[in-house]
Amino acid sequence: MPTGKSDVLQGTLDLMVMKTLETMGPQHGYGIAQRLQQVSDKVLQLNQGTLYPALLRLEQRGWISSRWGTSENNRRARFYSLTRAGRRQLQREADDWNRMADIMTRVLGGAPANPAKPLKEDLS
Amino acid sequence: MTLRELVWRAAAAVRLTGTAARERELAQELRFHQEMLEARHRANGLDALEARRAARLELGGHAQIAEGWRDQRSLPAIETLWQDVRYGLRTLRRTPGFTAAALLTLALGIGANTAIFTIVDAVLLKSLPYPSADRLVTIGDRTADGFSSNVGFTTMVDWRERSHSFDQLALLRSWQPTLVVNGEAERLEAVRVSWNYFDMLGVRPALGRTFTEAEDHAQTWRVLLLSDRLWRRRFDSDPSIVGRTITMNDRQYRVIGVMPASFEPLNERQFFSVEAEIWAPIGYELNGDSSCRSCRHLRGFGRLKPGVAMSQATAEMNTIRAQMRREHPQDYDEGSIAIVPLQDALTGGVRSALLVLLAAVGFVLLIACANVANLLLARSVTRQRELTLRTLLGAGRLRIVRQLLTESLMLSVTGAALGVMFAWIAADGLGALAPVSLPRIGHAAIDARVLIFTAVIAVLTGVLFGLVPAWRSASGSQRTLAIDSRTSVGGGSRARSALVVADIVLALVLLAGAGLMMRTVASLTRTSPGFNPDGILTMAFSLVGQAYAEDPAVVAFQDRTLEKVRALPGVTQVALTDQVPFGGNYDCRGFHVKGRMKPNPVDDPCIERYGTTPDYARVMGIPLLRGRFITAEDTISSQPVIVVSEATARLVWGDADPIGAEVRAGNATQGAWRTVVGVVGDVHHADVTQPVTAAFYTPQTQLTDSYLVAVVRTAGDPATLAAPIRQALRELDPSVPVYDVATLPSLVEKASGQRRFVMQLLAGFAIVAVLLAAIGLYGVVSYGVVQRTREVGLRVALGAQRRDVLALVLASGLRLVLAGVVAGLAAAFGATRMLGTLVFGVSPVDPATFAAASATLVAVALLAHWLPVRRALRIDPASALRAE
Repeated sequence: MPTGKSDVLQGTLDLMVMKTLETMGPQHGYGIAQRLQQVSDKVLQLNQGTLYPALLRLEQRGWISSRWGTSENNRRARFYSLTRAGRRQLQREADDWNRMADIMTRVLGGAPANPAKPLKEDLS
Repeated sequence: MTLRELVWRAAAAVRLTGTAARERELAQELRFHQEMLEARHRANGLDALEARRAARLELGGHAQIAEGWRDQRSLPAIETLWQDVRYGLRTLRRTPGFTAAALLTLALGIGANTAIFTIVDAVLLKSLPYPSADRLVTIGDRTADGFSSNVGFTTMVDWRERSHSFDQLALLRSWQPTLVVNGEAERLEAVRVSWNYFDMLGVRPALGRTFTEAEDHAQTWRVLLLSDRLWRRRFDSDPSIVGRTITMNDRQYRVIGVMPASFEPLNERQFFSVEAEIWAPIGYELNGDSSCRSCRHLRGFGRLKPGVAMSQATAEMNTIRAQMRREHPQDYDEGSIAIVPLQDALTGGVRSALLVLLAAVGFVLLIACANVANLLLARSVTRQRELTLRTLLGAGRLRIVRQLLTESLMLSVTGAALGVMFAWIAADGLGALAPVSLPRIGHAAIDARVLIFTAVIAVLTGVLFGLVPAWRSASGSQRTLAIDSRTSVGGGSRARSALVVADIVLALVLLAGAGLMMRTVASLTRTSPGFNPDGILTMAFSLVGQAYAEDPAVVAFQDRTLEKVRALPGVTQVALTDQVPFGGNYDCRGFHVKGRMKPNPVDDPCIERYGTTPDYARVMGIPLLRGRFITAEDTISSQPVIVVSEATARLVWGDADPIGAEVRAGNATQGAWRTVVGVVGDVHHADVTQPVTAAFYTPQTQLTDSYLVAVVRTAGDPATLAAPIRQALRELDPSVPVYDVATLPSLVEKASGQRRFVMQLLAGFAIVAVLLAAIGLYGVVSYGVVQRTREVGLRVALGAQRRDVLALVLASGLRLVLAGVVAGLAAAFGATRMLGTLVFGVSPVDPATFAAASATLVAVALLAHWLPVRRALRIDPASALRAE
């Protein structure tokens, strides 16, 4: 049961972190930050420190797990990876997000980005 | 927030998970992140310093990140609470004397409440162990004390036919069959019940079945249900017992079932059974000897239909009763029906006593609260500096109140835990102290219900004694922010005085109550029952079966018994009677005097009968006032005679002479007229707090009973003669069972058991209350002396004598004591009325008792001044003046 949705930025950050972990596999904090910068074409002005409370929150909710490992340059680093529950949650949140994006697009007068996709969908 | 997150964060808040280690890991992660960023910037051509600055900018400050991370990690609310708890623990550990005193006081107060509640819960609150027990009632004519009387068989048959309020209406009567196994006779406690009795209770047997309607008849009733205990004890838990035949009173009975071990019979003397082990159908027919409407020797029970209110059923039954009175005016007097919930009928006799004890123990807890509040106030003075410092460092008033309340709740909860242990130990002692007449006491146990009660009072007391001191301290710390802390000590002394006064008020009420109960027990002991019980042994035996079917056989056995027992060494006198006072039996008979009968003989008085042998009055020490008592010349063939008690004479004949009058006992229309030949002194049959019982005596030879009690006056300790007398009876006839062996003084004392129990507990509570009040007073007075050291020093320096110092100290404390005594007396005037009928032989507002209670309290209060006075007298003016 996700809460704190009113805080769009926080919800967005959680979603981006989980998507990153899904795409790239286990990553350390620095790796996640770099990936987010890179994907957003550096448009996203991320204060990278805010990642850490978000990572802790996701871990507390059981959506990601962490363990110590060795980085590409042979340093000790904490690696985060998506859990099964996290994968399901990501799917749910991504759908929510897409639906919201559709609605926003329509409200703002454009054509639906993906008209084939049903607006209500139960994936649980 | 997910549940999982909540658990994780709560655990982190109370430091269940390694916080320091986790924070070190975060620092390591951030360092790694920072270094990776720096490395990238250097690779892009920045120098070391610029790379570090750029990395710092991208990542953010480590301290801020850690702060956000920590907020996410745990729950701030729980974390604060946990801080308060740990801080409280440290504070309490630092003042072990204070902590021990507070905990002991609370453990005493809460423990005593837990112990008494355990009893109250078992006796009054837990519902009876039958399905929908709230629909079970007793039914009969309304007695003087509002309960239901015995009923007659035919009356119940009519009720069943005419009423619509009940699912079942059932009957019960007493029965004491004799089981003879291997020549050893055992008299069993049993009851005869109407066939639907178990259906009414809603219980099923463990083996076999219950009775059928066809079995509840004169020719078919010899079928039995056994208790689990009897089945194990006498029949070796034989699983094939159902269908077997056993012999009692020379008759054959077929066992049809065994009740489960969990079945609780209605074991109450008023329901004719104390330890019933056998049930059989009543087996009456409408035309039977014992079936008449006025043969009221049965107990009536009912199960109300669902949704029928007690008042509705009572209204219906009163209508039916009025109809029946019109149809049978000879059998029913004016009067009304009482339908009483079964639970109330069982416990009604002890309810008020238990509520008194509950109130008293509540007072003890209030005193304990006042004392702990007092201790907290005293301590808050010494803590003022610390609290002021905390306020200066930014703690708000609420934050400080919360901190202090956390501490008092820790005290009350720990005190409650100790109190439960204390109650657990006390439970056995209370069980031993409790009079046997406390029904359902076997259910008393410290269970979940009791623990919930204790938890609730723990929290309530914690808030009660903690809130005022906490609030005062918090305000104090704000007020004294800017002032030199040494001068801020005055706060709270008025509140403390008020608490001490409250202590004294409550203690005085308890003392007065205990005093009244002591005087009650004293006057009970002083009140003569009308006979002299000292040195008398009583012992019951029954002459039933074929051998004793005819009266002459019974009378012959009586004669042989008297002869044999009289010959035993140590026996000075012996007599037989069908019942003794305080023996728990009643034999009230309609008393119809020739020429003085009421138009409807049913309205003639019911007088208690004793059927005795000639020596009875002499053995019991009942004085002969006029005429003669029963003698050996009164035989089966001589003129039937009776002897009446003085109360009977006054009631029936007023000032006229009863001697020579003719009386029918029991039945007004048939049977012999018996001539009154003597008048004897009055006795109390069951209770010296009630008026003397109107009684009459008939010779065993002329009105012969099979159930007898031997009353034996002995030279030494009566108890030692039980075995020889039992042996003598066995030699006469081993099939005669002997039971209910008791000394008469013990029976008389047992009758006042409930009042003694209340007296002992009230006295105990009063002692605790007075001690606590004295401790509270001592605390306030001695603190006052410390405060006024300088003043006393100054006075002494200016020439004050020891006498003046003494007066100064005493005045401060006695002012409180007097205020407390005055208010306490006023409170006691109201509160002791609660004792109601428990008080006997003394007014509930007895001035002497109240004066004694006040004097005791003042004396103890003076003792509490002893140490403070000594300290004040030792004050050396020079050092006292230099101290400041």
